[in-house]
Amino acid sequence: MNTSKRWLPHTFKIALLTLLLLWTLIPIIWMVLSSFKSNDIITAGTPRVFFTPILEHYTSLFSSGNSLWPYLLNSLFIAGVSTLIAVVLGCMAGFGLSRIRIKGKQHLAFWIISTRMAPIAAVIVPLYLLFRYLYLLDTHAGLIVAYLSFNLPFAIWLMTAFFDDLPPDLEEAAMIDGATKLQAFRYVVLPLMTPGLVTTAILCFIFAWNDYAFAQTFSGPNTQTIPIAAAQLLTQTGIDWGKLLAIGTIVVCPMAIAGLLVKRWLVKGLTLGAVK
Amino acid sequence: MATLQLNNIVKDFGGTQVIKGVDLEVKDREFVVFVGPSGCGKSTLMRMIAGLESATSGDILIDGERINDVGPADRGLAMVFQSYALYPHMSVEDNMGFSMRLAKVPTAERREKVLAAARILQLEELLDRKPRALSGGQRQRVAIGRAIVRNPSIFLFDEPLSNLDAALRVQMRIELARLHEELDATMIYVTHDQIEAMTMADKIVVLQGGVVEQIGSPMALYHHPANLFVAGFIGSPKMNFLDVEIRRADAEGVDVVLPGGDCRVPVEGDGVSIGDKLTLGIRPEHLKLDDQGALTGKILVIERLGGTTSLYLEKGDSQWILVADGDVTSRVHDQIRFSFDPACAHLLKGNGDALPHRHRHPLADIDRKENGGLSV
Repeated sequence: MNTSKRWLPHTFKIALLTLLLLWTLIPIIWMVLSSFKSNDIITAGTPRVFFTPILEHYTSLFSSGNSLWPYLLNSLFIAGVSTLIAVVLGCMAGFGLSRIRIKGKQHLAFWIISTRMAPIAAVIVPLYLLFRYLYLLDTHAGLIVAYLSFNLPFAIWLMTAFFDDLPPDLEEAAMIDGATKLQAFRYVVLPLMTPGLVTTAILCFIFAWNDYAFAQTFSGPNTQTIPIAAAQLLTQTGIDWGKLLAIGTIVVCPMAIAGLLVKRWLVKGLTLGAVK
Repeated sequence: MATLQLNNIVKDFGGTQVIKGVDLEVKDREFVVFVGPSGCGKSTLMRMIAGLESATSGDILIDGERINDVGPADRGLAMVFQSYALYPHMSVEDNMGFSMRLAKVPTAERREKVLAAARILQLEELLDRKPRALSGGQRQRVAIGRAIVRNPSIFLFDEPLSNLDAALRVQMRIELARLHEELDATMIYVTHDQIEAMTMADKIVVLQGGVVEQIGSPMALYHHPANLFVAGFIGSPKMNFLDVEIRRADAEGVDVVLPGGDCRVPVEGDGVSIGDKLTLGIRPEHLKLDDQGALTGKILVIERLGGTTSLYLEKGDSQWILVADGDVTSRVHDQIRFSFDPACAHLLKGNGDALPHRHRHPLADIDRKENGGLSV
């Protein structure tokens, strides 16, 4: 009886999930497939599912005069360094914010995350002026700082939440076991924070990796990132769909895989058994 | 092996005093239990001894040395947390050996000490497991093992049994008492459960609202509660109370007015005078069914525990409890008569303080050793 009652909602759930899955996956699959099609097939009136895959778009991206390599390296370097700084500082600030007993702690935490809430468009002009005075335009440091301005508050906020979930008993037990505060952090807190650190790092990296607005405004010939390279394919004479889709695939795939990895790192699984 | 001394300890949390001047002396190898309702400050007091909280004022001395400014790592104590606080990413062996790893003890020696502790606690089979693969009782034992390998001067236990089920709690209680005997160490134990306090302590410290209400052996607290709070808190079921008036007071005792005639309670009557209002306290197990008894009550509820029967009585506008034999035949709604031995009664003044009994109970001052102790 129970199963017949639940039968309908269950089917409905599956249908809804299927629909969502198609909605999410079809554009990505279409993009990935098309990046292996010749330009004729891509722009043909009837989309084709069966075709002979070619690597031409990818090879031309990396071999032609305007190779994608510098863009890719810029993206990796800028996103990587800004993520590293955000995670290290975010971890320390989050730990402090979670453990310290001060008045108005929630207000401080909210103020920090509120700086993340400003739309990019609102900060882009002031930042541009600041960067011009500081000679940070068209530098890697400039973009790293720009991404940090958004990623750091986010990292602090996220890490605070992860630290809040970790019972302080564990550090206290370590300290009674003879550890200094730093040793307790190093041997007990940090290993248990891996899920939090990985999650924060991936989310910060995605933000920097995907950004177009900051890169478009602050970068110059030396510091352009992949999204800029993609935009450059939209020219007045036409759009090179094949290359554009290939770049799209290169941008999306690592992030999609990273996103799947985050799922594995749930804090619950690791701290289970620590207390109670 | 160590002594502990607290001198006028005060703890202030952002303007609220949670510990209001506590003095305490813990002798070497003593098992001291801090007991009190939640929020009484017992855990805070222990955390100050451990060094996890700083004392706002007052001195904490271990072996006569002031340690207020010594960090928790250097106090040489070990603590078992209510939550066990096992390191979830480490095996049982690494959990127990963590303090030695920090102290850079060679691996072989470390392993030997962990094994020795594991043997005491029957944990040998579990040394490679992670905490999440252990049952509650096993985790509890690992936490105790982690304390043992440190060979601490004082063991601190912060409500260690409150997460265990009732049967396991009784078993662990016995194991802890046995452990105290075996290790012969100074132990301080925090609990809100007065049964744990009564069964394990050499000395109980009753706390309420950040103030020490009374310090004494379990039997001293039971037979000679210093005030209304201790009288009501120690003992299960709770003591019955009745408002009474003094008829006569002299060196021999105090006569109070009861419904069935005056009753002479053998307490020192200094400082009270005729007509004063007092509270008479009498434990449920000291009341006895008695057809000639002066007191009456109507049975509201009967709880038969087999060996004993608890009768919940309606007496005026208060509720009384009477613990009778297991085979009493009374029924709910019966009107019963009962009496008590005045020597077992307590008289408490309006400010809550008890009038001291004229005779000390013979068991009030025996210590654990004289009590036969537990032999291992």
